[in-house]
Amino acid sequence: MYRYDQIDQTLVNERVAQFRDQTQRFLAGALSEDEFRPLRLRNGLYIQRFAPMLRVAIPYGLLSSRQLRMLAHIARRYDRDYGHFTTRQNIQYNWPKLEQVPDILADLASVEMHAIQTSGNCIRNITADHLAGVAPEEIADPRPYCEIIRQWATLHPEFSYLPRKFKIAVTASSSDRAASEVHDVGVRLKRAADGALGFEILAGGGLGRTPIIGKLIRDYLPQADLLAYLEAILRVYNRHGRRDNIHKARIKILVRSLGVEEFRRQVEQEFEANREFAPRLTPQEVERMRDFFAPPPYQPLADAPPDAAQPAFQAWYRYNTRAHKVSGYRVVLVSLKKHGEVPGDASAAQMDALADLAEQHSFGMLRTTHDQNLVLADVPQRALMALWQALDGLGLATPNIGTLTDMICCPGLDFCSLANAGSIPIAKQIHARFDDLDYLYDLGPIEVKMSGCMNACGHHHIGHIGILGVDKHGKEWYQITIGGSSAAPAALGEVIGPSVAKEAVADTIAKLLEVYVRERHGEDERFLDTVRRIGLEPFQERVYEMDHSAA
Amino acid sequence: MRWIIRRREIVADELRYAGEPPVPGAVAVHGVAQWLAASGQLQRPAALLLSATDEVEALAPHLDGVHWIVIEFAKIGEGRGYSQARMLRQRYGYPHELRARGAIKRDQLFLLARCGFDAFDLDPAEDPAAALAAFDSFSVAYQDGSDELVGVRQRTLAAPLSG
Repeated sequence: MYRYDQIDQTLVNERVAQFRDQTQRFLAGALSEDEFRPLRLRNGLYIQRFAPMLRVAIPYGLLSSRQLRMLAHIARRYDRDYGHFTTRQNIQYNWPKLEQVPDILADLASVEMHAIQTSGNCIRNITADHLAGVAPEEIADPRPYCEIIRQWATLHPEFSYLPRKFKIAVTASSSDRAASEVHDVGVRLKRAADGALGFEILAGGGLGRTPIIGKLIRDYLPQADLLAYLEAILRVYNRHGRRDNIHKARIKILVRSLGVEEFRRQVEQEFEANREFAPRLTPQEVERMRDFFAPPPYQPLADAPPDAAQPAFQAWYRYNTRAHKVSGYRVVLVSLKKHGEVPGDASAAQMDALADLAEQHSFGMLRTTHDQNLVLADVPQRALMALWQALDGLGLATPNIGTLTDMICCPGLDFCSLANAGSIPIAKQIHARFDDLDYLYDLGPIEVKMSGCMNACGHHHIGHIGILGVDKHGKEWYQITIGGSSAAPAALGEVIGPSVAKEAVADTIAKLLEVYVRERHGEDERFLDTVRRIGLEPFQERVYEMDHSAA
Repeated sequence: MRWIIRRREIVADELRYAGEPPVPGAVAVHGVAQWLAASGQLQRPAALLLSATDEVEALAPHLDGVHWIVIEFAKIGEGRGYSQARMLRQRYGYPHELRARGAIKRDQLFLLARCGFDAFDLDPAEDPAAALAAFDSFSVAYQDGSDELVGVRQRTLAAPLSG
């Protein structure tokens, strides 16, 4: 992974000092709440329903065991013994005290971490494929470019006061596990005909109130021009993005109102006009960065999948592990979706234990995923049984990855001051209703994504089943969409009809699944494929059949 | 007398904006539209006030005789001025004073200076001494800028930390 040098370390240390000063000025009354807000926000600090919430950056989801132990320490010392992993591969703490936040940041800085730009109208954490570097099908490891972009974006002099937040995802796989089509900018590694590595650039995607699939802006961008091109996009957006209406301020609205052709023309024109001043990536720089992400010292191992007979292990192996590009190794997904628990939460004890397991079995490294699980990416196949037993003992081996109960869930009304409705109680309702693993396996891969408001932190638009919390006359209701997907080609789900009452969400999902099981063509047709084939109507008929008789 | 920061010193402000009482020796500040319409009749060296929506491309061919450009930040979080400043400095080679004015606290000074601002007309509630110190909030940067810090993406000489 990338390791800080004196310059990186100095920067985060100075950021801690700056934020300590800003916090003290606020507490002393020298800064008003309005003045402090943009300052604290660009350091990940929200004021929530009950307490501040601090979001800590995990750049492109990569963590060392030492860093995870520090996250556990922070949970224990400053919070209530747990943290919540987010859809931007970050971690959030729900109960820190404002006056202690500078100390938390200082602790983070001691392990090369920070909370810089984890919120606010600036360039946010760069996200990436959580299988980067180990996925058999990827073009090249995207992480060197993620780190290059991270550094470029950090305290950028020109792009720190954007019209709205700005999210960049990088992927090198056709599977697009980074959901690059629903980001402000999607960067996709691509090889030219001559084998040279470059990028395909998408812009103007996003979820939130107005979900839009990103548009192709540049079919092939040479490696050297990556930052220059990002500067051109950001400059066009910074100058011309709307600032009069927070709901129309994302770049997707600018791209839509200009039209993709005109937006592209402006970006290309800016790119050309600024060539002399824009940063250029040198091959040496890329090489230097690539060295940080060199493969760990794999042992030469034969491919020998474990042949243990226990059904529970077999289920875990099938659902919670993935192919690795190196013979004899396997990728392990650590499920943070145990039935009855809050999706994405991990306790301090679990984090500490995972740090130990990462050191024993996976070169001391972990990843976070945008669907709120963790990954041990480099596990020898022969260690899988021991690892499974350890994870099982920690409650981290629920064999449900990719199934209905592996759902994405925002903090919702329980914590978030933006939420219209609860998310966590719905997750628990779904967990309780669909607790039979055999039934889940029969249903096959289904992505359920849930947000407590239209800001869409839970990515509901791109769930095969999406659940959106809405407020109706002070009551929590839920709008259901089906047919969304973040995998290429991305698709936005369609609303099936009027929203349903809180207590009816799991029942509604059960009805959708009934229709799917009845209509699917063979066991291999996924829920999403069935929806695409037969459309919404059969699902609507089943969910709203009572309404027909009433009408 | 109103104070401003110019190249890290507290100095008296010599500019007077529309609607302010005239002061002997003070320089009147013109709007961009006024300058573009009648620059031949206006006194030089001249001072211009740019709003966030003024296009620097339109002004660029008419910078002769302009010795002050004041970019207005109407509210907290306004970010267009950062791009205007960088374009004026880099693409159009504007060499004279570039001043940020309005809803600016000391917390913005570091990045504003990196974008090419060399003068600052701050929120009057700011403490001038604390504001001066804020230019040194960071001693390193990842990007090239108009200040003395050099972008450090290419750092073959930087030593990795141990541990």
